[in-house]
Amino acid sequence: MLILSRHQTSANSPTSSGGSTGRSDQGNVFQSGLVDVVCFLEGGVGIGGSLTAIAHSWCSSLQEYNLRTDQPLEMETTCGSLLSELQKIWDEVGEVDKIRDKMLFELEQECLDAYRRKVDQANRCRAQLRQAVADAEAQLADICAALGERPAHIKKSSGSLKKELQEIMPQLEDMKKKRNERKGQFAEVLKQINSISTELSGSTEENFNTVVIDESDLSMKRLDDLRNQLLLLQEEKGERLKQVLDQLNVLKALCLVLGMDFKLTVCGVHPTLDDSCCVKSISVDPIKSLSATISRLKDVKLQRMRRLQDLAMTMVELWNLMDTPAEEQLMFQNVTCTIAAAESEITEPNSLSLEFINNAETEVIRLQEMKTSKIKEVLLKKRLVLEEICREAHMVVERQFGTDFSLESIDSGAISPSFLLEQLENQISKVKEEAFSRKEILEKVQKWFAAREEECWLEEYNRDDNRYNAGRGTHLMLKRAEKARVVVNKIPAMVDTLKLKAKAWEKERKIEFLYDGVGLVSMVDQYCELKHLKEQERQRQRDQKKLQGQLLAEQEAIYGSKPSPSKSGNKNARPSTGGAGNKRFSLGGAMLQNTLADKAALASRSLLKNNPVKRQSSHNHSNSGLMAHSSGKKNTSTGPVKHRSSNASNSQHAEPLPLRKALSPLSSLSSNIISCNFQDHNTKSGDFQDTHIVCKTPAATTPTKNVSTHDENRTPKTMPIPVPATPPTVSAAMQTATTPFTPGVRIAGEFEYSFEEKRAGFVLPRSHSKPLQLV
Amino acid sequence: MTAAAPPSTGRELLSPPTDGISNLRFSNHSDHLLVSSWDKSVRLYDASANALRGEFMHGGPVLDCCFHDDSSGFSACADHTVRRLVFNYNREDVLGRHDAPVRCVEYSYGTGQVITGSWDKTLKCWDPRGASGQERSLVGTYTQPERVYSLSLVGNRLVVATAGRHVNVYDLRNMSQPEQRRESSLKYQTRCVRCYPNGTGYALSSVEGRVAMEFFDLSEAGQSKKYAFKCHRKSEAGRDIVYPVNAIAFHPIYGTFATGGCDGYVNVWDGNNKKRLYQYTKYPTSIAALSFSRDGRLLAVASSYTYEEGDKDHEPDAIFVRSVNEVEVKPKPKALPNPAT
Repeated sequence: MLILSRHQTSANSPTSSGGSTGRSDQGNVFQSGLVDVVCFLEGGVGIGGSLTAIAHSWCSSLQEYNLRTDQPLEMETTCGSLLSELQKIWDEVGEVDKIRDKMLFELEQECLDAYRRKVDQANRCRAQLRQAVADAEAQLADICAALGERPAHIKKSSGSLKKELQEIMPQLEDMKKKRNERKGQFAEVLKQINSISTELSGSTEENFNTVVIDESDLSMKRLDDLRNQLLLLQEEKGERLKQVLDQLNVLKALCLVLGMDFKLTVCGVHPTLDDSCCVKSISVDPIKSLSATISRLKDVKLQRMRRLQDLAMTMVELWNLMDTPAEEQLMFQNVTCTIAAAESEITEPNSLSLEFINNAETEVIRLQEMKTSKIKEVLLKKRLVLEEICREAHMVVERQFGTDFSLESIDSGAISPSFLLEQLENQISKVKEEAFSRKEILEKVQKWFAAREEECWLEEYNRDDNRYNAGRGTHLMLKRAEKARVVVNKIPAMVDTLKLKAKAWEKERKIEFLYDGVGLVSMVDQYCELKHLKEQERQRQRDQKKLQGQLLAEQEAIYGSKPSPSKSGNKNARPSTGGAGNKRFSLGGAMLQNTLADKAALASRSLLKNNPVKRQSSHNHSNSGLMAHSSGKKNTSTGPVKHRSSNASNSQHAEPLPLRKALSPLSSLSSNIISCNFQDHNTKSGDFQDTHIVCKTPAATTPTKNVSTHDENRTPKTMPIPVPATPPTVSAAMQTATTPFTPGVRIAGEFEYSFEEKRAGFVLPRSHSKPLQLV
Repeated sequence: MTAAAPPSTGRELLSPPTDGISNLRFSNHSDHLLVSSWDKSVRLYDASANALRGEFMHGGPVLDCCFHDDSSGFSACADHTVRRLVFNYNREDVLGRHDAPVRCVEYSYGTGQVITGSWDKTLKCWDPRGASGQERSLVGTYTQPERVYSLSLVGNRLVVATAGRHVNVYDLRNMSQPEQRRESSLKYQTRCVRCYPNGTGYALSSVEGRVAMEFFDLSEAGQSKKYAFKCHRKSEAGRDIVYPVNAIAFHPIYGTFATGGCDGYVNVWDGNNKKRLYQYTKYPTSIAALSFSRDGRLLAVASSYTYEEGDKDHEPDAIFVRSVNEVEVKPKPKALPNPAT
């Protein structure tokens, strides 16, 4: 009330002053207050109206201002006073109205401009505020959208803009904070994902080191997605790790079994896989190479296992074959126990190591060698059996060997021993069969030989003129002769049947019947021919005798009787054949005759066989050969003494030397030869040549001369045991002999030369030695 | 009786000597092989590569050769000279001369001396380090009872086998006189003498298919161990044909030894157990020389006619290098042991 009154009073003064400026109704202005002033002004002159409007507006604005500041009065007074002052001035100056109006108008204009400026300013400020609010709201909305949350702020229309802004700002700050937190979470998760995926991919350089976060989508859903992804990756990582560990374990087991160095193998695959390395690479490459290694090792294991099983099989077979003692088997129990094991069952350390397999292999090789040596033994035995059968059946052994049966060929691997064994078995059965089929004929042959023996004996006996002389054992001889005559009479029939049988046999078999390599039929034929010739000879002799008898008779008739010259000559020529010799013989003669018949036949056969050519070449010769049968028999019965003597006589031609005394008996002959070669340079050249030839013999060109002298005491070829003197690989004992010191036997004046000296033509420069021209 | 499989004689070396091979030896350091021949040459082969590495021509047939080290060697020539050969530079110089063809040469690693034996009935020791010229390099001359036919060294022991079946055993440290004078236990001319690798004795072979195993130890116990055995013979028609035993070579590891004879066979023997371990398939002609490589894995075999029957047609000279299987040379004890596990 006080204020209003004051206002009224303050307003009164200008109006009163304005009214007092020359207008008639000025007093009203002062009384009616402000509105009246304006009206006054408007109602009055235009200028006055505008002035009042200005004042009014001032007043109102000031009033408004005063209401807030409580200092209105000065302003009002200042404006009003200024106006009145201006009025006063104008009045004093006597300014014309026109100028006054203009001035007022200017004033008014200026006032308006000031107002307008301020309003514009305020307007701009408001717009800024609005913008800020809108921005904040938009930001908020964005963040909310990004965070995937419903905007918490519901826009309130009430309240001023500043308030709104004030309300929204903290929210925005909040949300920003929230967003940053979220970003941090995202970054962390993404980082983990990245690290795991790099680990999984195995790329050593970290490709996307900077974690790119999609700002537009930071929703929980996405975060959850990422977390799930991370979990998945972690799981995968775990799986991989487990896989790697599993594989490492498998590898370890494999290495153990195969006897390989695990660490070395693993480092070869990937250096980080080593046990000592805590961080294991789990990327694809090492896993792949690891699994490749494992599969390779598995292959190796499988291979080795098969090999070992093969070895074990052969080993067991060989054991069974050779009855190997259990303690020897025990050592390789661990080999044979794998024989039926599956691959997975073999887990024992080193059970498939190379060393182990090699051991097993060497054992198998040893066993196989043993086996071959045993087979060889068996082979030799079988061969002996075969030869025995052949010998008994008087077949030629060599002919039976279609294949090479030598041990050398086994060693060289040309023939497998088992094949050979089979062959040999076949041969034996074949030979047995053949021997069986020959049996009948052979018996006949035997009889025939016996008969021939008797025939020979009889012939000799008949030639003995003293056969009828009385003496010890004569009656036995007579008996034998009687029997022999019976036998001899049977010979032609025997020969005929033999020939028939042999021919039938030959027809059946379509091969020649060979008796110790000589055709039986031809033998029989020869015999018949021989007999025929003998018969003729006998006939001739008989004729001659008869003629002689006639002559004798004639001479007797003329000159009287004379003792027969032929008889007395015979007596002198053959003093001992029938008489004393046979007498001594006669005690055991019958028995000997039987037991030795076979042997004798053999001896004669060997002779027949050894020089069949000779036999066929001349019948006369073979006649003497037949005669020699009996003498041969005697030879065999008299024993080896005679052989040796013949041997000695044989070596006689090499001239006795003092050196020979020192010779060992076994190599006497050949060493003689060599000694001849070295000692006998100066002997007759012919002699030297001879020995030289013998020395050359390795090429098997043994001179026929030697053969003929040796035939007598050479073992017949049909006799078995041609055991190779030196079976290779089978270790043979040396032929050793202790060698006592022997005083050297040196021949003065003659020099030995080594091969080199001879070749180089080196001759010792000695005056008394005869120079030798050897080259 | 012919085996169908090709004879496993070993690998034949390319470009062999064109005439009789007098000796061959493996190096102590490599698989190089030195070969002397009657074609007046000494050849150096790389046995493992089968390649000819060098060739030296001499004035006469070369009767023996030996290695000095891997890069040089010595040769004994029928032109009375002893030569030193340097392989790297293909250089040769005359170490000295004998009065007759030099039959054999040995190098002693212990004393660093070359020992040569000649048909002039002397043994000479040479110092190969001396400047060339006989006066400087000749260490000593030692008269022998007869022409030297074969030499062998082990440690400080030197065994000299001569004509007339003499055997002298020297100690290299005192060459003034023989440590032992012996006569060969065999009754025929000595062909070859080789010491045991363990240094306890020597093996001596003769022209009459026999090898004597001798011991240095002169005590009764030592001498009771000696023996002789027959080998390289062929039984034919109840008679032995006897061949000279030209070569003996001891296995450096097992102490077993191989002998080669004019029958073309190489036999491997176990002297301790008196067993023959192996016989290789027959070579085309006489075995002139044998040598095991330093580790005993290779055996060089010279299949070359040794003129035992004078001048005649013969198979071409060849060198075979065969790899030696352990079973062929490993001694087989009488009781079969368990195989090594």
